[in-house]
Amino acid sequence: MTERSNTKSNYSRRDALRLMAIGGAAGLIAPNLLGKPAFAQNPPASPTGRVVVGLSQEPTVFNPLMPHIEADEAVHFSVFDALVRMDPKGVLQPNLVVEVPNQKNGGISEDGLVWRIRLRDDVRWHDGKPFTAEDVKFTLELITNPKFRAWRTAGHSLVRDIKVVSPTELTWRMEEAFAPYQSFLAETFMVPKHILEKEADPNAAAFNQAPVGTGPFKWAQRVAGDHIELVANADYAGEGPYLERLVFKYIPDMTVLYTQFKSGDIDLVDQAFITADHYAEASQLSDRVVKLEPGASVESIYLNLEKPQFKDPAVRQALYAAIDRKAILEALYYGVHKPTETFMPQNSYYYNPNLPAQEFNLERAGQILDEAGWVPGADGIRVKDGVRLSFANSTTSGNHLREQTQQFLQQTFAEIGVEMTISNLPAAVMWGDFWLKSQYESAISGVTNVIAGDPDVSNRLHTKAIVAKGGKGSNTGQYSNPEVDALLEKGARTFDREQRRAIYLRVQEIVRQDLPFLPLFAYTNVFGRKEGLEGFEPNSNTRVASWHAAGWHWKA
Amino acid sequence: MTALVANAGPSRWWRSRTMRRFTSHHLALLGVVMITLLTLACVFGPHLLPYDSLYIDLRARFSPPLTGYHYLGTDPLGRDVAARLLMAGRTSLLVAFSAMLLSTMIGTLVGVIAGYRGGWIGAALMRTVDGFLSFPSIFLLLALAAALKPSPAMVTVIVAVTSWMEVARIVEAEVRSLREREFVLAGRMLGLSGAHIMFREILPNAMGPIIVAATLTVAHAILLEAYISFLGYGIQPPLPSWGNMLEGAQQYLDSAPWLAIIPGAAITIAVTSFNFIGDGLRDALDVRDDRV
Amino acid sequence: MRGFLLNRLSQSLILLLIVSVIGFLVLNLLPGGPLAQFGLDPGMTQDDLERLKEQLGLNRPLLIQYFDWAWRLLQGDWGHSFRDGAPVLAVIGRHVPATLLLMGTSTAIAIAIGTWIGIRGATHRYSVFDYMATVGAMVALSIPTFWFGLVGIYIFSLQLGWLPAGNMYTIGDGSVLNYLHHLIMPSIVLSLVHVAIWSRYMRTATLDAISQDFVKTARAKGLSERRVIMKHVVGNALLPMITLAGVQLPSILTGALVTETVFTWPGMGRLFLDSLGYSDYPVVMGLLMFSAILVILGNLIADIAVAIVDPRIRLG
Repeated sequence: MTERSNTKSNYSRRDALRLMAIGGAAGLIAPNLLGKPAFAQNPPASPTGRVVVGLSQEPTVFNPLMPHIEADEAVHFSVFDALVRMDPKGVLQPNLVVEVPNQKNGGISEDGLVWRIRLRDDVRWHDGKPFTAEDVKFTLELITNPKFRAWRTAGHSLVRDIKVVSPTELTWRMEEAFAPYQSFLAETFMVPKHILEKEADPNAAAFNQAPVGTGPFKWAQRVAGDHIELVANADYAGEGPYLERLVFKYIPDMTVLYTQFKSGDIDLVDQAFITADHYAEASQLSDRVVKLEPGASVESIYLNLEKPQFKDPAVRQALYAAIDRKAILEALYYGVHKPTETFMPQNSYYYNPNLPAQEFNLERAGQILDEAGWVPGADGIRVKDGVRLSFANSTTSGNHLREQTQQFLQQTFAEIGVEMTISNLPAAVMWGDFWLKSQYESAISGVTNVIAGDPDVSNRLHTKAIVAKGGKGSNTGQYSNPEVDALLEKGARTFDREQRRAIYLRVQEIVRQDLPFLPLFAYTNVFGRKEGLEGFEPNSNTRVASWHAAGWHWKA
Repeated sequence: MTALVANAGPSRWWRSRTMRRFTSHHLALLGVVMITLLTLACVFGPHLLPYDSLYIDLRARFSPPLTGYHYLGTDPLGRDVAARLLMAGRTSLLVAFSAMLLSTMIGTLVGVIAGYRGGWIGAALMRTVDGFLSFPSIFLLLALAAALKPSPAMVTVIVAVTSWMEVARIVEAEVRSLREREFVLAGRMLGLSGAHIMFREILPNAMGPIIVAATLTVAHAILLEAYISFLGYGIQPPLPSWGNMLEGAQQYLDSAPWLAIIPGAAITIAVTSFNFIGDGLRDALDVRDDRV
Repeated sequence: MRGFLLNRLSQSLILLLIVSVIGFLVLNLLPGGPLAQFGLDPGMTQDDLERLKEQLGLNRPLLIQYFDWAWRLLQGDWGHSFRDGAPVLAVIGRHVPATLLLMGTSTAIAIAIGTWIGIRGATHRYSVFDYMATVGAMVALSIPTFWFGLVGIYIFSLQLGWLPAGNMYTIGDGSVLNYLHHLIMPSIVLSLVHVAIWSRYMRTATLDAISQDFVKTARAKGLSERRVIMKHVVGNALLPMITLAGVQLPSILTGALVTETVFTWPGMGRLFLDSLGYSDYPVVMGLLMFSAILVILGNLIADIAVAIVDPRIRLG
């Protein structure tokens, strides 16, 4: 108890400081900003030079509203703009809007139901046509068009009665108050009405192969299976671009990706980044800037709580205590990633740093199991009420670092009388029904729990998000705790940052106690770029490193 | 009756001549010697080595070959590569051998029936063989690997299911040419059942090509197992196989090249040996050179 | 001839039918599916996944999906990729040039070296060269291609730094030299097996030709041994090689698959693996049909070549 109240007072003091800093900064920057990084040193007067970005997945989806993967977003962020932008600190900044709508400036009504958006008047599409409120209306309506194969619809499906007030202003009503929608808009890129409205089938539009946006770079060409080339948009409304050409190169093999970075064929390593085992060597390279940057994903062992082995909290605690996390992180992952106790990214505003730290202690683990009545059977494996403490662990086959972790865990678990077998599956099988419908026993997975930096994790932890029980979401571990459910519901309705923060800090406390999954580490990405490439800024609230290529430039 | 006698007679004669021809085939003998040594090493070797193939020691990870008693070095988990290589040999050879038996059985069955029956049954069977051959083998491999739980038995099935067609083709052609021979006609006149004629009369005479094809299938099966395990869809850790030892080795090519070189060399030696033996058998059994 | 072609055509159609049915069944019965890639996407709800399933028509009975697909195919519509929405033929077409370049180069190497080894082996039968060639071919056929590629990368890229470890060219450098530089290792790795096969076949074919009467006649006429070999023997031995080339045609897709993977070559093999990985059914089905058509074409070419070479075989 004392400990908790202590931490509480800690939070509020730190919060106040942080809030002041953020509020102040936002106030200063907001009026004149279209994402101008404060540190841009002497960019060239006109776009010059070329940057080749290496990606380990191939971007293939260029309509940003259609289902896509991380790598596609590298292109989307460069070709398109969203209404708002999530900055590296997790604060929303205006992009196509004049100011970020919130309850204080009247952009969002007190009850959170009416939204008013005011747009910039100087933005043009790559084909010269002006960008207006009609385009925003078209975009939001296209997402919920039943004929259109839209990507995420969460939040968008609550939007009603979109009214265009003037070319630079529109309003809409929300079916219910939904705070995360503010952040979701940062990943909702605007598409041109005048091009797409002519298409009979928006799913097969020519636009999808040669996109037209308002972003800093224009579409040039694609060599399928190899690379995508973009050119500077000289008429970009915001700051930049400073590069004449931006190339996204697809290199499916991580070792080759690194080799090409080393040889200088690529200037910057994006998605999937430099592998941990190359970090030490990479950081010694001359003319290269190699840095560790915290990511948003958390690697955990997910336990299917409906399996009899995992229903007993003692088992989860014992297993957690039996993980030699230090050895795994330092040896197998070369000390790149950081230990964590929660699902929240560590540089999120909502991260709870005061959770009890895991301690590797096999004796303690055995003791917990003994006390809970799990006694070793004839084969050395513990049994309780006819349930053997034995389970399978699955992950993507071919991911050899995870396979090493599995085999290492297998050996330590065996020492406390727990049997873990390995049963890995190809990605397309692993993350299909097997994962979504909770058909696994335990799994190792690296999951990003926040969406566009928003802390709402209902989709992962709410009882109603268990698909195997008729719910809709991805609570695949089947975690169910009424207190957490209530907090999550409250969090989604709350717009105030501080109130929300308190809610999600508490959620993390409860989840740490319940241990529905066993956190292994928070991903730290090894970013690498050539020296002289300036204006680069990592942002763990986006899924790609190329979230702001507009600001990049070569040192003169 | 004469058919049976005629059948048994030449068979004994064939044996000695075959032996003589086979033993004069130096490469084939070399293959036999290498496979024997490899098998003996895999069976007895692990007991002679100081380390267990599953023992993890992170302090000793990435020891290069000839570090202390780690004759072939250690892997990323600090396990002894020599111990793993020999244990992997057991898995890989067993899987390849079982897959050969299974695929030869399927192939022979299909081939004999298609060749003997002919007509629409034969056509249907052989078009199915063509159909299977029209798939990129990697498609069937990966599809099956995704559908089945990857235990050694399942990997055996996967490899067998993707490699029986060649045998079926060879057997079908052989049986079709034997179908009208006197001893078969005699058997038919004696009122022997179709099954009896197919499997007791014709099959023994088609044994030569089948044995050759089977030997080459072992070689092929080792390669297939290696490839699917290399991709991570085959034999699952911690059980080692030559293929899954190579998995991830690409990542460490720069820092620990022995992880890639050693299992690959083992695979090459084993496959070459079986190919040598197959070649020798082909000469000895007078089988037409249809494959390389 | 017409009867032969008609017969062949009907057989080919049956084969395509079998391939399409098996392919479609296997693909659709696999667990997972095209939406699994979004299983870890934090923002995709179960509603979204079910909606997409319906929009893609994946919730219909399998039989209806198959007939829908087959019916469109008969009308020339190969469907659209689930990933980038482009027509399947366009998707395949974009990846053909890279594979053709790689396969073409390695086949050229294989023919040149394989033919030379084969002829020399046959004319110097049982010599040390012949013996070494035989052993070499068998070892070459026994080396796992992916492993050979890795060893090549280790030696020539990582240790010596002479050759690039992957890709078809350096971005921004479209020169022929740059392409060639990138081509060297993958095409040599890929040609290893083909050199082995070609040399073995060439040796047999040359031996067959040498024993024929017209060669004896040519010798009797007093032509130099070299001329006899070059003009009569090689000419006659090369024709059966067309058969082999025909049979090898389907390996355009599969033969380069492993090599393309190891050397990150942007060809059809990579496309196939990527599409399979993302369960992009229309593209995978398109590639399966494409490969089956190649098999049929290859066999046809082989048969016609045989018939031309050997008048005793009548097509029909």
